[in-house]
Amino acid sequence: MGLVAIATGKFLSSFSVFLFLTVLLMVVARRISTSVLLFSLQSAIITAEVFATGVRERLPAAYVVGALVLLIKVIAIPLVFFRLVDGLKTPRDVKASTTPTQSVFIAGAMIYLSYAAVHSFGQTVHVPEDALAAAVALILTGSFLMVSRKKALMQMLGLLVLENGIFLAALLTTFGMPLVIEIGIFFDILVGLLLMGIFTFRIRDTFDHLDVTKLRRLRG
Amino acid sequence: MTTAINLIQALLLILGAPLVGGIIGKIKAWMQRRQGASIWRPYFEIAKLFRKGDLVPPSASWVFHFAPKVLFGTSVCAVAFVPVLQPSALLAFRGDFFLFVYLLALGRFFLSLGALDGGSAFGGMGASRDALVSTLAEAPFLLGLAAVSILAVHADIAGMVTWTLQQDVLKISAVHILAFTSLAMVVLAETGRMPVDNPTTHLELTMIHEGMVLEYSGPSLALVEWASAIKLHVMLALLISLFGPWGMASTVSLWGLGTAVLLYLAKVAVLAILLALVESVVAKLRMYLVPDFLGVAAAVSALAVIFTTLVKR
Amino acid sequence: MILLLPLIFALLGAVFVLGFRDHRAATRAALAIGALEIASLGALVWQVHSNGTQQIGRYLRADGLSSFFLMNIAFIFGLVLVYSSGYLRHHIPEGRFSSPRWFYALVFLFLFTMISVCLSANLGLLWIMMEGTTLASALLVGFYNTEGAVEAGWKYLIVCTVGIAFALFGTIVLYLAAVQAGVNPAAALDWVALMDAVPRMSFDPHLVKLAFVFVIVGYGTKIGFVPMHSWLPDAHAEAPTPISALLSAVLLNCAMYAVMRYDAIVSRATGPGFPHTLLLIFGLLSMVVAGLLILVQRNLKRLLAYSSVEHMGIIAIGLGLGGPLGLFGALLHTFNHSVAKSLLFFGAGNVRHNFGTLRMDGISGMSRTLPQTSAALVVGSLAIVGLPPFGLFISEFAILSEAFGQARFLVVALVLVMLSVVFGGFAYHLLRLLGGEPSGVPSSSKLIPSEYTVMGVAALCLLAFGARIPHLFGVLLQEAIAVMR
Repeated sequence: MGLVAIATGKFLSSFSVFLFLTVLLMVVARRISTSVLLFSLQSAIITAEVFATGVRERLPAAYVVGALVLLIKVIAIPLVFFRLVDGLKTPRDVKASTTPTQSVFIAGAMIYLSYAAVHSFGQTVHVPEDALAAAVALILTGSFLMVSRKKALMQMLGLLVLENGIFLAALLTTFGMPLVIEIGIFFDILVGLLLMGIFTFRIRDTFDHLDVTKLRRLRG
Repeated sequence: MTTAINLIQALLLILGAPLVGGIIGKIKAWMQRRQGASIWRPYFEIAKLFRKGDLVPPSASWVFHFAPKVLFGTSVCAVAFVPVLQPSALLAFRGDFFLFVYLLALGRFFLSLGALDGGSAFGGMGASRDALVSTLAEAPFLLGLAAVSILAVHADIAGMVTWTLQQDVLKISAVHILAFTSLAMVVLAETGRMPVDNPTTHLELTMIHEGMVLEYSGPSLALVEWASAIKLHVMLALLISLFGPWGMASTVSLWGLGTAVLLYLAKVAVLAILLALVESVVAKLRMYLVPDFLGVAAAVSALAVIFTTLVKR
Repeated sequence: MILLLPLIFALLGAVFVLGFRDHRAATRAALAIGALEIASLGALVWQVHSNGTQQIGRYLRADGLSSFFLMNIAFIFGLVLVYSSGYLRHHIPEGRFSSPRWFYALVFLFLFTMISVCLSANLGLLWIMMEGTTLASALLVGFYNTEGAVEAGWKYLIVCTVGIAFALFGTIVLYLAAVQAGVNPAAALDWVALMDAVPRMSFDPHLVKLAFVFVIVGYGTKIGFVPMHSWLPDAHAEAPTPISALLSAVLLNCAMYAVMRYDAIVSRATGPGFPHTLLLIFGLLSMVVAGLLILVQRNLKRLLAYSSVEHMGIIAIGLGLGGPLGLFGALLHTFNHSVAKSLLFFGAGNVRHNFGTLRMDGISGMSRTLPQTSAALVVGSLAIVGLPPFGLFISEFAILSEAFGQARFLVVALVLVMLSVVFGGFAYHLLRLLGGEPSGVPSSSKLIPSEYTVMGVAALCLLAFGARIPHLFGVLLQEAIAVMR
């Protein structure tokens, strides 16, 4: 058990690096399916983190939460996205408003910002700085994706990445909130996604495209 | 004794280079559900080419003759800096990674000159494209190596490897992940692999490296092909030794060296398989997207350098 | 038990009403259940008033503040339900309304989530239900299948979900602060437990402040604070009229309720300076920006939506000033504003029904073509700009008095200037609508009983509150204030 504990402890501090990598790759991805796969990978890393926390802190609730994350974010949601991409018959490119190089530099700036932010708060909370910085970076990346991608589906994905970041931050600092609350949050996210899916279909039917920057009828 | 082993390292890199190419080709063939050529074929290819004669275009000058030799020479020199079996190399001094990068660049430069000198349209086209790729790849190459060097506090490749050996396997640092990503992308660009360039293409309009090589034949071509193989091998060896050197022989013993050789072969095999996978799965980028690809590599490596200020390891 | 009744009725109502395919039957069913719902809410409010705070289990609690907001919800819901019955009867022959039973079902679901927000004892449940209100109302906002409605619905869903995600982060940070200070993790999201623990245990002030920043930005998105208000004009303008009224009058208040709960905790933890300064900043910003934008509006409902933003700003200013009068004014204003805004939206709905458009430049001379609707709009507008003898005057006066009392003359100056600006804006728009030669052809100028009853009730209520606050209401208000202290 000692070796496993050490291994999980080390994993906890190194996994965040892989999250940074998914962040970087996600901002340069050119197809929706690539971004969705990266999101799935991200969620898988977070699931592993949840289970590692469960092992280390001996919290049975963490296993339930981990299973939920696995089922919903790693498997179900990407499947829903692939279905949506197929069903909407929309061009599969991401329609970014920044070039890949610009995006990577912005992602780099966000990562740097997240480290800076965590540094000032690192004294009060006893978490590995890297991991918390990864969480903040996910939040910032989610926001960036929502703002810089013109496709409605990518806005949904950006929202999911944002929620991933918040979830990770919660996990690291509080080792999970009461189980009922966690389940409620998941339920909300699911229903929210369902509704957004419905809306993307309606946008496509009403406007014949999925470019949200062209949704500018209502102004002023 | 250390020097002898360093010499053996260098010979391993030089002589084992065609084999790496052969393995990659074999795996790509398997992925396409073919048998593929034997992994030793590149050796026979080079030997066959040495037996043949040189056909030189009438308009060529001394540059055309000189270029393959420079290319081969610089590649062999670059080999001297990379540790393989033990954390030391034939040549190591402060800032030698700069020399490493520019030796390879020198070889590439002369190859471009030779291609231009050959006088064919495809040579010129390949040379100009290669100039673009090589220029853009230089920054991430240097920055990636610089990031590792800053972290390792040593400025020579052998020193960096020694430092990495002392680190914890499980404590993967952000700097190393980022540096590895950017250097991997640079390897793809510098050695002319997918998605930057297709080494097996026969369509001249899609060639970069192959276009430059079109006019060469006989021993010159043998030298060029061998030099390319050495370049691939040495860059893979660089990746292995900088980012995963554990298993290198710390003591000069038969047991240590034996395990080091086996582990090295295993790591090269893994990288070769990964490379073959990437080549089979990814489509070649159109030329105007290659700067994006390398721009991302540059940004990632710049990040790696910036991260060295944040990471307190 | 009585705590659960409103929730049960709302949920059951949502399911029950789906069974009626005939729209008249569905309407009657909805009205019946609505009546039951309002009765149960009234009973709950009475129970809390006579027996103090009610609680069931660990997650549901009704105290003075919740019952005040529940009363608000009940009243407006009653008005909206009655109005809807007539509204649907007008719109179904037009073919714009696809499915009344789904409409009522969603409305009941929406109501369920809002009541749950007010009854949450646990901040986590509060968050879940607040997100629930967004989800329940998104389909209602996009109910019509027009381009504008779909765009508004999408923007609403995305912007509010992002905002609420930030509020989640704030909730987590507060939870973290509580657990670190030593509060039992199982109770660290319970409002009463937190209010109790904050003065006794040492909460890290940085964490608490950080939490409040995220909460006010997050829930402030739902309230409509500038600069997070971008969804509000679209959603309130493109939604069906009863929904616009519900959104402006009730949902914004629920979000303000959430911020109030957090304000209470944070004020106790770090002193009222920080949270109140933030509230003042957002309030003043909202007032100024919304007030100025009111001048350039061309769509009647968008005008009303910006007016809602402005009034939420006023309420935030009242909360930010604190003090007995500030809090009194803010709470009273939530109620007064909701009644006045409902009245205005009902009138606007009628304008749309008769003229086919909400664009104000196409309409004029309404005082002659639609006299009753014009009267409603005039009364509503006079009320909403804060003129006596209507209720909003009292609440705004209270807030301004508090500002004067605290010698915050900049606040007073800004508020007075913006109130004048808004008055000018409304006067300008209204005069253009009502005066001049009648143009734009009204298709039918009769108000149906349900509509004018409702508008009449609202108008009378405003007048009554302007004259003198009913005793029972005043008592409930005092109890609500007591909870916050």
